[in-house]
Parts: sequence; structure tokens; C-alpha cells
Amino acid sequence: MNKTKHLLLWSSVGVWLLLVVAAVQENYWREWRQVQASATAPDGPLEIRLRQVVNPTLNISDRCVSCHVGMAPGESGISGPRLAVVHKPVVHDPAEMGCTTCHGGQGAATDKDDAHGDVHFWPEPMLAKNHLYAGCGSCHTTLNIPNAAVFEHSRSTFERLDCLACHRVDGRGGTLRPDKGGMEGPDLSRVGMTGFKADWYPQHLAKHNEAQTGVWKTSFGPISEADQKTAEAFLSTRVAAPRLVEAKAQFHSLGCMGCHKIGGGMGGDAGVDLARSGLKDPGQLNFAQVPGAPTLSNWLAEHFRSPAGLVAGSQMPMLGLSENQIELLTLYVLSLRRRDVPGSYLPKDRVSAMRFNGREFSSDGATLFSALCSGCHGATGQGMRYPGLPPFPAIGKSDFLSLVSDEFLTETITKGRPGRKMPKWGELGLKPEDVAALIGYLRQLSVTPAKVETTPARWVKADPNWGRQLFAASCAGCHGTKGEGIEGPALNNQVFLRSATDSLLTETIKNGRQGTAMRGFSQPSSVFPALTPAEIEAVTAFIRTWEEKKP
Amino acid sequence: MTVKAGKPKSRLDPEPLPRRDFLGLASLWATAGALFFAALGMLRLPRTAVLSSPSKKFTASLPDNLAEGEAFVPPGRATAIFKDKEGVYAISTICTHLGCVVKPSAEGFECPCHGSRFHPDGTVAKGPAPKPLPWLKISVSGGKVTVDEGTTVKEGTKV
Amino acid sequence: MNQADQQPTHSQPTDALSEFWKNLKAAPRLLKETAFRTGKPTTDRSRSSFVFGNVFLHLHSVRTHRWSLRWSTTMGLGIASTSAFLITLVTGILLMFYYKPYTDVAYQSIKDLHFVVPTGRFIRNIHRWAANVMVICVMLHMARAFYTAAYRKPREFNWLIGMGLFVTTLGLSFTGYLLPWDQLAYWAITIGANIAQSPRELTDIHNITTWFDPGGLNRLILLGSDKVGPEALIRFYLLHIMILPLVLVALMAVHFWRIRKDGGLARPADATERVGETLEPVQPVFTEKPTKTYHLAALVKGRTPAVGNGPEGTVPSMPHLFYVELSVLMVTTLICLGLALVLDAPLKELANPSVPENPAKAPWYFLGLQEMVAFSAFMGGIGIPTVVLFGLGLIPFLDREKAGTGEWFGGPGGWPLVKRSIWIGLGAALLVEAFVIRFGWLREWFPGIPQLIITFVNPGTVLTLLYAAYSVWLVRKWNSTRAGALGLFTCFLCGFLVLTIIGTYFRGPNWEFFWSPADWPKH
Repeated sequence: MNKTKHLLLWSSVGVWLLLVVAAVQENYWREWRQVQASATAPDGPLEIRLRQVVNPTLNISDRCVSCHVGMAPGESGISGPRLAVVHKPVVHDPAEMGCTTCHGGQGAATDKDDAHGDVHFWPEPMLAKNHLYAGCGSCHTTLNIPNAAVFEHSRSTFERLDCLACHRVDGRGGTLRPDKGGMEGPDLSRVGMTGFKADWYPQHLAKHNEAQTGVWKTSFGPISEADQKTAEAFLSTRVAAPRLVEAKAQFHSLGCMGCHKIGGGMGGDAGVDLARSGLKDPGQLNFAQVPGAPTLSNWLAEHFRSPAGLVAGSQMPMLGLSENQIELLTLYVLSLRRRDVPGSYLPKDRVSAMRFNGREFSSDGATLFSALCSGCHGATGQGMRYPGLPPFPAIGKSDFLSLVSDEFLTETITKGRPGRKMPKWGELGLKPEDVAALIGYLRQLSVTPAKVETTPARWVKADPNWGRQLFAASCAGCHGTKGEGIEGPALNNQVFLRSATDSLLTETIKNGRQGTAMRGFSQPSSVFPALTPAEIEAVTAFIRTWEEKKP
Repeated sequence: MTVKAGKPKSRLDPEPLPRRDFLGLASLWATAGALFFAALGMLRLPRTAVLSSPSKKFTASLPDNLAEGEAFVPPGRATAIFKDKEGVYAISTICTHLGCVVKPSAEGFECPCHGSRFHPDGTVAKGPAPKPLPWLKISVSGGKVTVDEGTTVKEGTKV
Repeated sequence: MNQADQQPTHSQPTDALSEFWKNLKAAPRLLKETAFRTGKPTTDRSRSSFVFGNVFLHLHSVRTHRWSLRWSTTMGLGIASTSAFLITLVTGILLMFYYKPYTDVAYQSIKDLHFVVPTGRFIRNIHRWAANVMVICVMLHMARAFYTAAYRKPREFNWLIGMGLFVTTLGLSFTGYLLPWDQLAYWAITIGANIAQSPRELTDIHNITTWFDPGGLNRLILLGSDKVGPEALIRFYLLHIMILPLVLVALMAVHFWRIRKDGGLARPADATERVGETLEPVQPVFTEKPTKTYHLAALVKGRTPAVGNGPEGTVPSMPHLFYVELSVLMVTTLICLGLALVLDAPLKELANPSVPENPAKAPWYFLGLQEMVAFSAFMGGIGIPTVVLFGLGLIPFLDREKAGTGEWFGGPGGWPLVKRSIWIGLGAALLVEAFVIRFGWLREWFPGIPQLIITFVNPGTVLTLLYAAYSVWLVRKWNSTRAGALGLFTCFLCGFLVLTIIGTYFRGPNWEFFWSPADWPKH
């Protein structure tokens, strides 16, 4: 009996003690309580309570502000630990848009590790400081971003024109201060979103002409039309996210879109669609080969270093990128986190992309080439060879460009080359004017002017049977006995046969294609004897026999 | 205290309990205390710590053609914003009687629930409402107004 | 009526007023007197009144045999199960303040409970741990009842009620598993629902699934759809908070009522002599042994356990039994609270129907089944459990022996037999598992083998047959059903233990064997 009473007494006391511990834990030991206790409001100690940003439209209730209490709605003048400071001034009011909308992480949580998403069961950890701009991709679709070279050119033009004397852009410039006898122009950091007046140049010029002395006279002068265009191209990329624009320019420089689409937009089909790649769940990724912490950014970076090393069976070649390029590409892929945004919060650029086919890449020939073609054909059209993939032909060399007509190029770009990796860009969204811009860009890669056809398209009149024997001896090893293509490209494909002229065929056989395995047959090699012009014509005639619909 | 059984007394006799059962009492009180403390803790649970309602502060842009004395009620908000020569001001449209949302009208505000009427400045004209409609803190920046429904200001404050 | 009739009968109205004041002053005392009609429970009679005059206590007998009060008799497991249930009940009701059973907000509401609801995290942890404690206590309680042969006459039916309570407890725990709507929940329930569908394994073989599909019906009724979705969530919620608790409470009432009507806990015939002299004088209500049983309203015929038994060896339930019950309640609470303080209830990622958890594990007490399900969903998930439950239910009707009732490991063979059975049970289970893990099973050797053969010849059935054969041998050796039952029950308990431990600790992604979770493929 007494034993039972003792058991009751001590178990009750134990329960009571555990309850006390729980109460202390609940009321004193919570991280956010300690943070708030160490902060002070302007009129005395800060009231300790859970704070949050609620926005039913965006479906968020972010408790981040329980620790980052300076950013909580309605709080001002709070001093205390570093994490209790106010948010940097930004366009989006944190008290309205919440925290996770841009930063990611777990808004519901009130403990640091959980909130920052550094726990294995939270699929979307917070974006690291150096990848902050990726958060913009949740809602925004920055449009018309040129490739890195064009972008760099536009930026240097902008700086060369000394616009930064009066204007501030991304925290730089505006050096001619009013109190120093100068004047300050508007901040242009977001001008790509807000837009600028089309007649800015005549207005600037009028001011310049009116002024007798002062900054308008000294710091502004007439600008050439080309420079105006370039400066405007730069301005249209200013969306208060300079690093993201740089990353996107890098993406448009490496020809990634030759294989990848983003959310069903323009791009090749060889690779996966990259939409929402920035929201990959780190818990589902294999980190066995990834150095450093198991974060998505580390995985992406390692993936760029060695694609097949992380994703078994990946066809993506090793691109040999610099660490800076990898960093930029990682940032870009992290920004591929587009969400459904309620109508009242849809940004202009996103609407433009959704409804009016606004493009994320700009449509100049250089950007089109580097964004779509350079992955396979090389940055200067020199052709590429990746292990495990068929060689990609050079298209930027004069031997090729001098042989082909614009029609042949247009046909090939639009209709593709069946049996090869070359996709039908006409069906993937490339417009005729884009093709023209591309060809224009290609043409200026070599000094050779476009071939002007003086001879008729079909002039070869040789014996195809003779050609058959020659083809079997010299060509079938690479192109296949029926021209179906083995290591070399298929020759029996109708698009090619229709668009290639006899001159193109004979010249190519005679001189070969630089940067590919195709050698010129006018000279003998260790394996093949040389072909005479008549023999070359015979081979051409034989190739022509595969054409189903003669012109 | 071994007592031999088998000496049945009357069933009405009290049992010789130990006079002070300190241990029994202590254990029972400890149990009661622990359970009471647990009940106190559990009572805290229903008292919600964070509300699911959005921030009381909101920003709206006034229509350009807002006439003097005409109320602008931002969608989904219980606040009427007015503009006149002296500036803009905001009046809560939550009836001070029992919390119905009052309707702005030409004569002021009408409450549909129990017939309270308010003057255009929010003071009570008739009906059961005990207090005038509160004026809310409002600020203007760049063509947009920011209203804090959580902070009332003195009647007649216009910015 | 005229005014004269309305005259007060009291001559002095001031008296009524003073009466009023007197009564008002006496109100607190009267309140106490009317609430507790008996005085202080100091005499045997007033203690009896205290028990049967109180609606919450009157399920107890007014006197309790001292054999029942020994810790070694029950180890308090029945009361502990009840206590754990009460704790889950209270904490569960509290959780319902915030839980929203809709797929789009359920997960978020659990996050809210964890992070912002005052005491929410602690309450949810207690709920989770109390549920686990309840499952363990119910299992151990069942084992206790078996090993003390407490299922024997007249308690046969109460054993069946107890089995109903066991199944209901598992059902409660399982339905609660889905409610957080996280990956763990989603995939455990997907597996569970497909086990419910597994009778198709048999109907498919006979090509009768199109017109006779009990498996599909099971699943459809359980999920309300073809996959785990909002319909399933609301059904599981309803089962968890309403249907199963009601069933459990009803069964508990019958269970307790029958304990009393069956004469308290099972004890040996010579229990009174073995507990020895009472420490207190006996002051019985009945001074001689009754010859009839007093039921509620009449003297009824027949013999109930009270007939022929005097108060020897008993003590008043108030306070002896209640001290024991209260202390078990507090110890159970202490355990649940302690666990809740140290270990948080798990909550994984939001349920994602396109990415299965790997490994997707059911609650721990089903992992033994999951181990067998890896070969045949029907046999492991439905066949063998049904056979085991059926066998358990038959025990009291097959074992009509007398020897050893109320004693631990009572009956022929006793503890040595149980000890040997433990080794055999563990050994057989380990051997079968080791063989399967090392060499695989029929499907690996003969890829074209029909499912029907695997359904009936798989490690689960092999193990069951081994145990059954051992049990039959025991029955013949000891010439006693009880001996066979002791062996069989012990073996199944050991098999359950081995399979559960392997399923919990040694199975990794793709249900492959790993010595430790550290060896799992890195993800």
C-alpha cells in the first residue's frame, strides 16, 4: 500500500516537473522569444509575441518576422541584434509580399533551421545570399536579354556615353551631385520594368542645346543612332536584378537552348525541359559525388562540371566552363522557379511573356546564334565534337559559307536535317525574320560574301551508275551505302537534296568541310585516291538519284 | 500493524485508519496538482497566437475622378476613403454597435443590421450605435494611399 | 379563484424570509451533501457506498481481492492501456481545435500546430507517444492475459472483446497516420489500402475479379476513390475521431463490465491462502457467504462467480484499488510526457503522389506484416493475420483445462516450456529471414512461377507452418491443449518481434536488407 502511494506521489511529482519543463520551453526557450527579448522598441521593451506576414492572395503566412522582427508589419524603430534590423529598401514591401515569396524557405516555421529550410524534409530551402536574385524568377520573366558579349557591349556603351554622370544605375553613378554644382537624373535601375520615354534623346539634346554652361553642356552631347539603340538595349535590361540579368545573358551565350526548352518555350528537344529546375527537391537528388553541403546550388554547380557524373546516362556534354560561368548558370537555373501567381500580382513582363509571346532572349542575330546554335556549332561556328555524340559541323568557316546560298541556310534552319540532331527551328518558334537575322550574323562570321548563284541549281549531267561505284568506294564508309548516314551526315534526306545545289555538292566533295571529318577529294589521301572533276560530278549525279521529287 | 483477520466486527464500525495518512494525502494532492497544472496548460491551446487575417495595413490607389464627399471603399476592406480640398481621410465602416459593415450613402453611413445612421464625419445620427465611426490613420505617397485599419486617429485628421 | 385562497398558509411572512437566508447560508454545505451523498469513506459500508454511488467508479466492485492488487498479477497493463487512451482522447480533442481535414490545408495545419499554436507541439507529441504507448500496452496486456490463462471460463467472451479492442486500437493508430498528409502518411496509407485490395491476388488467379471483387470493394470503401485523396482523408478523419473511438469506448465498457461480472481478475483457486493474512481487520458487508447473487432489480437464477465466495482475501476498493489505478495513470502520463519532451512527432514533406517514399514504411507495429507482404500482399496482409486472429479467438474454447489459471505461464510445461518456445520462435524466424535475405525466394529462382504458389508458399506461411507443427508436437508431448497454446503464442510473439525489428531497422530503399541505415544509398 505504501509502495503504491510512493509510486503515485513520485510519478505525480515527475509529471508536474515535466510540465514545468514544457512550460519553460514553451514560454522562454523558443528561439524567437529570445531574439525578441534582446530587441527593444522605441518606447521600451518589445512586446514578445509571434509576428507574421499574412497575404491570403499569395497564400502565405510567413513567421520569419518573429525573429526578423524589424521587418514585421507595423514595426518601426526596433533596435537590437543584427537579425532584427529593417529590410533594405526594395520595390516589394515585405510586409505585403511576405518573405518566402522571394527568399524561399519555410514560412510556417518559427525555428531557425526549419524556417531556413535546412532540414531534410523541407524541399525548398532558402536561397543563399549569393543566389538571392534567383528569387525574382518566382514571378518575373525578364525579357529580351541578349547574350553576354552583346550585353557587355551595351553596358560599356552606356558607360562610355557617360550616362552615369547624372544617372544612378544599380547603386553606381549619379556622381554629379546637385550640391556640387551638378544635377541628378532619375535612378535608372528599374527602367526596364517601368519603361522610359521614347523621345528621351531629342529632349536631352534640346536641354543640351539650350544650356550655355553647366552639366547639360559639359556632360551631354550628340549621340550616334547606333549608340542610342545600344544604350536603350542596356536600359531595357535594368530590372533591379543585375546579377540575374548577367546570369541570363550567360545562359543565352552557351547555346543551352539548342537542347533545352524552358516551360515549353523555344528550344530543342534533346535535353529535359528546364522549367522549375530551380525548385528541385534536394532530398530527391544524389549527392554522392557532390562536394560540400547537400544543397541544390552545389548539385547544380557540380552538374555543370560533370553532367554525366551526376545524372547517369545524361547526354549533356562537359562544357568546360569557368567557375564564374558555372556560378552564373547556377544562379540562372535556380531562378527557374516560376509559380502560379494570382492575377493581381502578375508582373508586366510575365503577362507579356504569357499573353503576347514576349521572349526572354533578344532577337538580334548574335544572341539568337549564341542562344540556340552555339552549343552544337561552337561559339564562332567552328563546329564541336563531344565524346559519345556525332560531330557537329562547322558552319562559320568561309569554305562553307562561300558555298551555300541563303536559301539553303533558311531551308536547313527552318526544316532541320532529319536523322541529325539539327531540329526544325521553324516549328520550334523561330520566325522568318529571326532566321534572316541569324543568317546575317552567320555571314559576318567570315569575310566571304554570300554565294550568288550564277549557275543553275542542277547542272550536273554525269552517269549515276559510274558514281555508284565511286560512292561505294570513297563515301559509303561514312555516309552509308544508301546515303543513310553513319558517322557522317545522311545524304539521302529530302530537305538536303532539295535545297543543296549541284555546285554545293561538287565543291564540298572537292574541298571538304573544315572542322569535320569531311576531307577534300581533289587531293589524294593515305586512304582514298583523289577524284577527278568528272568523277565528282558522277558521284553528285548518283547522290541525286535519291531525290524523290525532282524539280 | 498486522491484525488478524476473522474477528468480524459490525459493518457500521469505522475502520481504524491511521490518524495521519501523510503519504496518502501527499500523493493525492500531488496528483491533483499535476492534473490541475496540466489542465491550465491545455487551456492555453485554444487561445490562438497568430491570426490568419492579413495585415491591417493596406495600400490602395484612389480613382482619379473621386468626387468630394464620395466614398471609395477598396475591395475587400471595411474602410471608406474620402478626398476633399483639405486632403484625404479614411473612416472605418464597421458599425460601433455590433460590427456590421455600414454602407456609405449621400447622408453619411447606414447600418443595415439595427438601423444606426452616421453623419458623413462618422458621428452618430440615430440608432443604437454608442460611438462615432473611428477615423483611421492614412498616409499618401506617390499617388497611393496607405491605410492602417489598426490605428485610429482624432476625428477630422486629414492629410 | 379569489384572493382569499391565495393567503399564505404560514402565519408570519418574516419567517419565510429568515428561512430563505438560512437556506442560502446552508447552500454550500447542501451542495456538497447532495453531490456526495455518503459521508467520509471511513467505514466499510461508506466505502462501498462511495464506489457504487459514483457513476465513474461503479464499474468497480466494492471490494477487490488482494491477489488482483499485486503488481505481478497484471503489471497494471490494462489500466495503463486505458490511461493511454484517455491521454490520446484529451490531447486528440485539443488537436481538433486546429486540425483541418482537407488535403490543401491539413499539412499546413499540422505545421501551425508545431510552430505557432500555444503548447501545440507538446500536445501533438503527447498524442503521438500516448498512441504508441497504448498499442504497446494493449499488446502486452493481451500477452499477460494469455500467459496467466485469464481467458478461461468464465472469461472466454471477454477475451474476444479484448481482441476487438486490440484491433480497434491498431485501427485508431493507423487511421491517425494519414491525417498529417505528409509523405510518410500518404505512402503508408497507399500501401495499407492496397493490402486491403489484396484479395484480388486470389480472385485474379481464378479470373473472377470482374464480377467478384471483394478486394476492390475494400479499397473503394476505405478510400472513396481510386487513389489516396481528399475523400480518403475525410474518411480516415471520420474513422479516427468518431467511429473508432465510439467503438473503442463501447467495447471498453463491455470489457470492464464483464471483468466485474466475471468475478474480478482471474486468480488461482487458492489465491486467498497464498496472499496470506490481511494486514487490516476484515469488516465485511456480508458476514456470511451469500447463496444468491444480487443483480440489479431481482434475485436471478444461475451461478455467478460471487456465489459461494465470501469476502475473504478482499479489501475495500476504496481506497486500495484506486491508489493503484491512479498511480498507473500517473506513471503512464509520466512516460508519455517524458517521451513527448524529448522526441518530436515526425512530419515529413508534403504528400506528393508522384514521388514515392523510399522506403515507404507503415507504422512500426505493421512492419512485421510489411515484411511478409514483400512476398504475398494477400497472405502477409490478410491471410496470416486472419489465421492468427482466428486462432487467438479459438484459444479459450479449445483450452478448457483448469490447471494454472491465474498464474504466470500456468499450465503444463510452465516457464521452461515458454523459455524453450522463445528460443525456437526466435530461431525459426531468424533462420527463415536469413535464408530469404541470403538466397531470395521462389520468384528469384523461377521467374515464371504462378502467383498462386507464392501466395501459399512464402516465408510467412512457412514460418506459420513451422510454429504450428511445433505446437502440435507440444500438445502430443504434454497431452495438453494449453501446452500447445503456450508454445504457439510464444512463437508467434517472437516471430512478430523478429519481423518487426527487421522491418524497422534492417530494411532500406526498395525493401532491401541493410545492416544499418548508414549503409543506405546516399540521397
